[in-house]
Amino acid sequence: MTNWINAKAIKASSFIVIKQIALILAALLFATIFLKASQFEAWAIVNGIKTSLTTDLAGTIRWATPLILAGLAISITFKAQVFNLGVDGQLYMGAAAATVVALALPNQNGVLSLTLVFVAAMIAGAVFALIPALLKVYFDTNEVVSTLLLNFIALLYMEYLVTGPLRDPDASTNLNASQALPENTWLPRLDYFEPSAANVGIYIAIAMAILISFVYYRTKLGYEIKLVGSNPRMATYGGMMPKRTTIKVMAISGALAGIIGAIEVTAIQHKLLAGFNPGYGFDGIVVSLLANNNPVGVIFSGLFFGSLKNAGINMERFTDVPSAVTEVVMAIIILTISAEILMPKIIKRIKISKKNKAHRQEVSQND
Amino acid sequence: MTFAVELNNIRKEYPGVVANNDVSLFVEQGEIHGLIGENGAGKSTIMNILYGMAKPDSGVIKILGEEKEIQSPHQAIQFGIGMVHQHFMLMPNLSVLQNIILGRTPTKNFLIDEKSARKEISEIMSAYDLNVDLDAKIEEISVGQKQRVEIVKALYRQVKILIMDEPTAVLTPSETDKLMEVMQRLKEKGCTIIFITHKLREVMHVTDRITVMQKGIVTGRLDTKDATIPELSRMMVGREVDLKMEMGSFAPGEKVLEVSHLSANSHQGLPAVRDVSFDVRQGEIVGIAGIEGNGQTELIEAISGMIRSTHGEIMLSGKKIDRLSVRKRREYGMAHIPEDRLKFGVSKECTIMDNLILNRYYQKPFCAYGVMDHEKLSNFSEELCQNFHIKTPDASCMVKTLSGGNMQKVVFAREVEIDGDLLIAAQPTRGVDIGAIEYIHKKIIGLRDSGKAVLLVSAELDEIMSLSDRILVMYEGEIVAEFSRNEASQREIGEYMMGAKRQDRRKIS
Repeated sequence: MTNWINAKAIKASSFIVIKQIALILAALLFATIFLKASQFEAWAIVNGIKTSLTTDLAGTIRWATPLILAGLAISITFKAQVFNLGVDGQLYMGAAAATVVALALPNQNGVLSLTLVFVAAMIAGAVFALIPALLKVYFDTNEVVSTLLLNFIALLYMEYLVTGPLRDPDASTNLNASQALPENTWLPRLDYFEPSAANVGIYIAIAMAILISFVYYRTKLGYEIKLVGSNPRMATYGGMMPKRTTIKVMAISGALAGIIGAIEVTAIQHKLLAGFNPGYGFDGIVVSLLANNNPVGVIFSGLFFGSLKNAGINMERFTDVPSAVTEVVMAIIILTISAEILMPKIIKRIKISKKNKAHRQEVSQND
Repeated sequence: MTFAVELNNIRKEYPGVVANNDVSLFVEQGEIHGLIGENGAGKSTIMNILYGMAKPDSGVIKILGEEKEIQSPHQAIQFGIGMVHQHFMLMPNLSVLQNIILGRTPTKNFLIDEKSARKEISEIMSAYDLNVDLDAKIEEISVGQKQRVEIVKALYRQVKILIMDEPTAVLTPSETDKLMEVMQRLKEKGCTIIFITHKLREVMHVTDRITVMQKGIVTGRLDTKDATIPELSRMMVGREVDLKMEMGSFAPGEKVLEVSHLSANSHQGLPAVRDVSFDVRQGEIVGIAGIEGNGQTELIEAISGMIRSTHGEIMLSGKKIDRLSVRKRREYGMAHIPEDRLKFGVSKECTIMDNLILNRYYQKPFCAYGVMDHEKLSNFSEELCQNFHIKTPDASCMVKTLSGGNMQKVVFAREVEIDGDLLIAAQPTRGVDIGAIEYIHKKIIGLRDSGKAVLLVSAELDEIMSLSDRILVMYEGEIVAEFSRNEASQREIGEYMMGAKRQDRRKIS
């Protein structure tokens, strides 16, 4: 047995899984209490998730696809101690590139066109992610700030595209969108779930999760990412180039974000639509955190957050709970997860103060 | 009779380790008491407890016969206990006087009464013959003087019991001698001193009684006049230690490393290495002596490629390497044990295997087409763990679970196993226990005897003197002297280290 997957590792990871499940349950409990206290239907969120996982699994898959990819884009950067808050911007760029290529291609073999569309989207996302990466490497610019600010540039650029050069000239309404893409560049939807928007993007997302996992645990690049992330000075001393690793990681992250853009355009909207992104980039951070930055774990946490998102939409549709409440529930879950980082510190504090107290009592008894 | 300090059955547990298990320490009034033990034996813990920086889980502390509970260093000072830390607690940009009165400032009409403070401090200084310029800034004075300031600071607070935590670790031999004299004078004036160290020669020289600790327990308590060095080291390590090394005869071969007119800047951009030239031959250990901060760090970083040299040439086995990347230099046969283990040598959050494969993970047979062969890597790591006696259940454990000595063995195993022509060993035994020192020294000598070139940098002059075939002394970025083995005494080399003397610039052989 190779030692990277020994009994110890399995024990450690199953412990993490159990802990994360407990966290989710705790978060749902808080959310339910919150709903009850706010005089909404108490079980709305639990029922919503139940529906999401049974009768409306299709919706869950539709939302999980981008969330898994966003989670992956974040997790790989976290591993290298780089922070990419620009997934949103990169996915806009990917979507724009996908649209441009799809509209420009002549009617051709579908698979080839689709491949080209996806490659274009990945390149666009990666290139857009390279801007903050190069700024960081050459000018020591903080990537948290630069990626965040570049999101606005990407968003406004896309709005410019759909109101200007790419706007459908035949649009009868005041809808800001591009022309519809030719059908041969549509990413197929899942037959089983017709007529929902669940599409084969979920396969792409899962394949990417496995690929990223392989890269991280099994390749040279993965080893470099691990060392640069844990001790960059040691990496330099060992002959690695941490700056190059940073650039590679950002490019991979941007390419994953580009795929989200391409899937949204080719499978869901079939056109470039202003403001189609509900903030996958930031949700991706939570997805990655809940999965402990483990690429395979991201599949499951992505599915969970997908079902939550879907539940929120269904809640709005079928009950009188506003979807804003789902946002609150999301926030409650985020807080519960970040408590995981906080709790050990709090527990340590309590232990220390208890010990001191016991010590003082002991001393006073001795006197 | 009453003891100055009496620690009874102290127990202190940290998560995972018992740092002090039932430790008792009795220090008589007016004596110099040596507390010795390896790193991790629990010396610092017991002293932190005495100085109020840590609380014992159980046990009783008595100061001058009275039972006390010491909550903080402030309280410890009130009870008359002072401490001179290994790393000085001084403000670099304040004057000596300001540093001394910090914490006990005399005031007059709400203003600092420097005049009376100056008078009082001058009295202390002349009484103990501890002269330091009171108006100099701390950053301007030498390490030895800083230590004196720490001692004066303690005396100014009227302490009767002084804890000195490894005070000689940062001193040159002559400064060490002066410190010993100061300690004797303090003793004559009635001070009690607890002297923590792991240097046995100093203990034998200056103390009256000795307590030996090993792995959190007291293993010996004896009068210095009855003690011998072999006996003490047996008590410290639990077995006989042989630090006298067998070495093959000196038969240097071809030049492996040639450095000519090398200059390099520090990370702050100041010139740190100035026009340095030397070479290292096969079957030779060249030791670089010098007080830390005289350019040794930058010299090693420039040779290993971690910083760019500004001027000069570096040749490795006849190839010019001064503009090559770290990786290329390593591929040409350079192995490097970095001076700061935790900063550069290991990644604590990674497994032992990840740390062992750093310099070959990308090479065949471990890696093909960018994919690593984990089975080969793990077999290889397990083998290294066994060959180098790294104490761990298996190579998939995190490095942070290892002790300092075992971490150093991981670094050592990694760098020695690639079989390079040149080994750069910077502070190879810093912070490791005697057993590991013995082991590492033997291995370094083994490399030399098998015809490798070794460049050794160490702040421990003892280590340099016992291992090196040639000794270079660095002072302010320059090589100021060169000696062959046994050509100069420790004291003489110390003078060059201090910059008091320098040889004429000889033609480098």
